[in-house]
Parts: sequence; structure tokens; C-alpha cells
Amino acid sequence: METQEDQLLKDCAPYVKFAKLDELLNLGRANSLWPLTFGLACCAIEMMAAGASRFDLARFGAEVFRPSPRQADVMIVAGTINKKMAAAVKTLYDQMPEPKWVIAMGNCAISGGPFVFPGQYAVVEGVDKLFPVDVYIPGCPPRPEALIEGLLKLEEKLTGKRRWPVVKPE
Amino acid sequence: MIVKENIATDAETGRETFVINIGPQHPATHGVLRVKMTMDGEYIVRAEPVVGYIHRMQEKMGENRTYAQYLPNTSRIDYLSAMTYTHAFVGAVERAARIQVPPRAEYIRVITSELNRISSHLVWWGAFLLDLGGFTPLLYAFDDREKILDLLEGITGSRLTYSYYRIGGLYNDVDDAFLKGTREFVHHMRPRLKMYRDLVTDNIILRKRLENIGPISAELCRKYGATGPVLRGSGVPYDVRRAEPYSVYPEFDFLIPTFPEGDSMARYRVRMEEMAQSLRIIEQALDKLPAGPVMADKVPRVLKLPAGDYCYAVEAARGRFMVRIVSDNKEIPYRVKLRTPCLSNLSLFEEASRGLLLPDALAVMGSLDLVIPDIDR
Amino acid sequence: MSSPAPEPKPAAPAVSPPGASAPPPPNPLPQIALPFQGVDHALKGYHADATVAPDQVVFAAEQMDRAGFAIDTITGVDWIAQQQMEIVYDFFHPVTGLRAVVRTRVPRDNPELPTISGVFPGANWHERETHDFFGIRFAGHPNLTPFLLPEDADYHPLRKDFTS
Repeated sequence: METQEDQLLKDCAPYVKFAKLDELLNLGRANSLWPLTFGLACCAIEMMAAGASRFDLARFGAEVFRPSPRQADVMIVAGTINKKMAAAVKTLYDQMPEPKWVIAMGNCAISGGPFVFPGQYAVVEGVDKLFPVDVYIPGCPPRPEALIEGLLKLEEKLTGKRRWPVVKPE
Repeated sequence: MIVKENIATDAETGRETFVINIGPQHPATHGVLRVKMTMDGEYIVRAEPVVGYIHRMQEKMGENRTYAQYLPNTSRIDYLSAMTYTHAFVGAVERAARIQVPPRAEYIRVITSELNRISSHLVWWGAFLLDLGGFTPLLYAFDDREKILDLLEGITGSRLTYSYYRIGGLYNDVDDAFLKGTREFVHHMRPRLKMYRDLVTDNIILRKRLENIGPISAELCRKYGATGPVLRGSGVPYDVRRAEPYSVYPEFDFLIPTFPEGDSMARYRVRMEEMAQSLRIIEQALDKLPAGPVMADKVPRVLKLPAGDYCYAVEAARGRFMVRIVSDNKEIPYRVKLRTPCLSNLSLFEEASRGLLLPDALAVMGSLDLVIPDIDR
Repeated sequence: MSSPAPEPKPAAPAVSPPGASAPPPPNPLPQIALPFQGVDHALKGYHADATVAPDQVVFAAEQMDRAGFAIDTITGVDWIAQQQMEIVYDFFHPVTGLRAVVRTRVPRDNPELPTISGVFPGANWHERETHDFFGIRFAGHPNLTPFLLPEDADYHPLRKDFTS
């Protein structure tokens, strides 16, 4: 025998979804990731291109580049980090409020990239030497599509499922 | 937050000053430039740029790899005008080894370099206006820039860091799609430049923001070695393409735009005019493009340059870029010196920004068109 | 309109043998009181070359300044085999386009010479960079602190005996 409450729930089902608060928050976070405006080198130009007309990062809710770390959710490390800069990068990371994520964009941020050779004196060999990284995007520099894919990967990490279809190479 | 140590009394004027720090992470510095500004209220007493936050050992790397292996580095110094930088390096090696580059290769080098110059100026234009508070121009600029990147990607396989030139020629020949597309781009870009003028350049808000702001004299440029649009915006018609002719530039008819005012608007106008001149060069090069190979034959795989030093200068998008190679007759260079335009152009900022309002100083900095890895190398 | 382009001349071989050059051109800067020698720009990339004593660099810079030259760059070269440091000053002329090189050498164990930043203020940064890379001291320089290297750097990476 269905109670009145059960019937009510059934009627609402197409319109109302119940979930844990965490999941709801994560859904919101995943679709409005605010990156920190933080261009280091070549990759930053591709990051700008990703935010500009053709690639339009706004389609994925990640176009709100914030100049202040206090307002940012995700740090896109776009470029080489050298030893003089490392302390500043660490400070920026520490200033971002929790929850926060890091995308290492390009080979320099992943491992030092083309600037690593025996006896090198200036480059930090990967941003994960400084703080944890969530998504790595290889390329020198990665294309804007790759950056978008990286953001989708982060979204996937947050919500546990993929909102957009995966593009397979032909 | 006010820190007591940052407040002092100016020895000359007796007025209280304070220090504010801009960068190394700041949207107006276009990268990781840091400027220590001593302020008297809203006015700048002293603005001292602090650089080195993206020093990447480019010169040291020149000393531990062969000439051909160094080519990828040349695209990553000033990544916005990678073609011209590679041109300077291969030019220096070709000069030292006395390699005769086929004419077709030189013409294609000119076409791609000038396309790259336009795309570089478009990024500057969009980002500069973004600094001044206008977001829309950036979207127009990147729309047109993507068209150039499509063309260059078609022949080089890369959007930004091309490494397309090789010692003795080119990586590969251009195809018909590139030639057709470039011609179409030239026809597309001319009315766009006119639209940019109507939309932005003649805008009274922009003109009030830039005219008479941060005048830089020709003498100041000379004392600091500033080149490119900064020098031409001070009325000096110095362009390496004419002053030290290289490649096949003497065969083209183009003007060197100069504006005598020396203010931020003059530097702005120089770059806008340069885009039109680059289109002219591209059109002429397409008309004259000779047939033939794009690679000199019998270029040895491992080059040994005769001992001595060799320079090669080019007109990059930001000014004079020169490579100096010192060889001791080995497979790897003894020393590679990169003379980059942004370093010299920024070095006069301290003198040019004295007494300016802080927002105006940022407009002056934007009008210098800085690429920070080009300063730090 | 792409006109049918002429075939390139099949003439000269791609790599011409070294040592087949003409005698050097005359000194293009006889009005400057420096020991300039003419150089073929097509072979070297500059028009005039002079070697001076280390204590003569300020005089040389003043001469170049008077002749209307602009400072191009300053750099060092570590000639470790000869136990010398070479300092190379590049100048360009904004009007005539002439390129001139002035060079000097200092002993490697005590690399010191006067600064020219009093003549060309633009030399300030180039000298700081040269100090960074080679440890060459420019006496009288207003601010010879690390430039591209971190604030506390005490190493000179472009010296040939540098190890990190």
C-alpha cells in the first residue's frame, strides 16, 4: 500500500533529485572552476587562446580568470618555474582557499620540459616538487583543446562522472 | 596592509614615500615581471623592474648541444615571434658556414616571419587593450590570429613554437593550400585593420588614455639601446630589415612607419601601421615566390663552424634581435649570446616612468610590448 | 597573381670553401679615435672591430656616444685555456645602421674593469647580467647585484668550469 508520501515522491521524481550535499557542491564546483590568472611562459599564450574567441572556455564555465589567488579555485601552472620564482608560486598556492586544485599545463610544469639537462642550475623540475598536482597536460605547449580536456578531466575527478563525450582520434 | 619598513622620506623632496610591489604574479605585467615602485601618493618616484623570474638558461644550453639541436630553443625565447628568432640563429650559422640558402626558402622565410609579426602584434593589441580596461578587442584579435595560426600550423605542425627554419633552408616546402590561404588572409585582414581603427584607435577614450603619456625621446632610446616600435615611435626610422638588410628584404617595397611624438599612442600607431606593411610584404613575396628547392644541398649533418665570432640581427616583432655565436671550430658553440629587444626596451622604463601616475605607468609598460622570457632568456 | 617564377641560378655550390674571401674592407669609422678595423658585414655581421685595453673602455664608450652610436649589448666570453675573460661591447648606429664591436680582455683570476654605465645608462643591466654569468666585476657600477639569478646567488654559471 503506497502512502501519500510515497506518491508525492513519485510525482516529484522527474523534477527533484535527492543527493548528498557534498555531491551537490561538487557539481557546482566542477561547472564553475575559476582559474587563477597566472601566466608564466609560452603555455600562457595558449591559455589565453583557450579563453578567447575560437575555443571559448566559457562553454565549460571556467572562463572567470581571477587575478587574485583568494578568489580562485584552480591554479593552471602554465610555464617554466625556476628557482627564483618557486617561492612565489608556493605562496600563491598557499593563498588559495580550500578546496583547491592544480593543473600542470605543459612539459615545463610537469618535469622541467626542454630546459632540463645535466648540470642545469635554474629550473624546478616539475611543479609537483612544490605542491600536489591533480591533472597533467602534456605538450610544448599543449593546444587549447588539450587544456579544455584537462579541465574536463578535473571535472571528472570532482564529480566522478564525465559530462561530455570523449573525442576519439580517427 | 601598511608595513612600516616600506615608508620612508624622500631625500630630495622631503615628502613621505612608500614602496609597493607589483608582481611577479600580476595581470598587467604579462608574465612574471616584478616592479618595485616607490610612490609619492599616486605618483611614481622610482620604478625599479626586477627580472629573472623566468630565467631558463637559454645561453647556457647553447653551449651543450650542436647547432641543429639548439633550434627548438630559439622558438621559446620570444614565443610570440618564434619565426624571426629562429631566422636569426640559422642566419648566424649560415653566415659562418657560408651556406647559400635557396631563394624560394628565403621568400618563404619572409612570408612566415611577417605572418608571425602580425600574429604577435595582434596578441599585443588584444592584451594591451585588456590592460586598459577593454575586453572586446581581445576577442577580435584572437579571432584573426587563429587564422594565421591555422596557416602556419598547416606547414609547420605547430601553433606557437615552430622551429620551421633549418640550417640551409626549411623543414618542408609550403603547399598550395598555404599559398591560397595566405592570399585570402591578406584580403581578409585589410578591412579588419580599418575596422580596428574605427573601433579602437580613433576612440576618444583610448586617445585620452595614451596621448602624451610616457613620452620617450630618441636620445633616451639611444642611451638604452631601445629598438623596434619603441624607437620608431620616437621618430627614428631604424629597422634592421633596412639598416642591416638580411634575407630577401631588399627586394620588397615597404615603408618604415615612424611617429615623432614618442608617447604611448605613437608606439601604438607604429604597430598598427606595421601590420599593414607586413601585409604588403607578404603580398609581394607571394607574387615573386620563385620555384626551386627549399633546402641547400650538401649541408653537413654535423656542422663545425670556423673559429671566430658571428653575428646576425633580425627585426623581430619587438625590435632588434641579434645572435652572436662564438665558435672554436667544434661541433657545439663555444658561446651563444642572445641580444633580445625586450631587455633593452624595459631598461628605460625606470627613467621613462618617473613622475607618472601609477595607472599611466602600466599603460606605458603595455606600450613597450614586453615578453618576459625574452628579457630573462 | 603568382607569375611563373624564374628558376634559381644553379651557380654557386651550397658550401663555399673557407678562406676564399677578399681582403677586409677599409675602416668605416676613421673619425673615431679607436683602433677600428674594417670587417666584411656579409661574413661577420658587423662593420668595424676594435680591441682596447681594459682601462680604455670608458674612453671608448664616450667616443661611441659622441659619434651617435647606441648601446646594443655587452657580453663576456670565458677563454679558460688562455686564463682570460673577454668582454665584448656591441654598438649600433640608429641612423647609418653601422655595427661596431669593441672588445677587451681581463685576466681570469681578477676580472675587473670600469663600468660604462655612466656613459650609457643602458649598460647598467647588461653589466649586471655579465657579472651574473661570468663574475666579471664592473668597478663603479651603481648596483652590481644579481640580475637574472636569485638574490642570493654566488655562482657564475657561464664560466666554463662551472658545475651546479
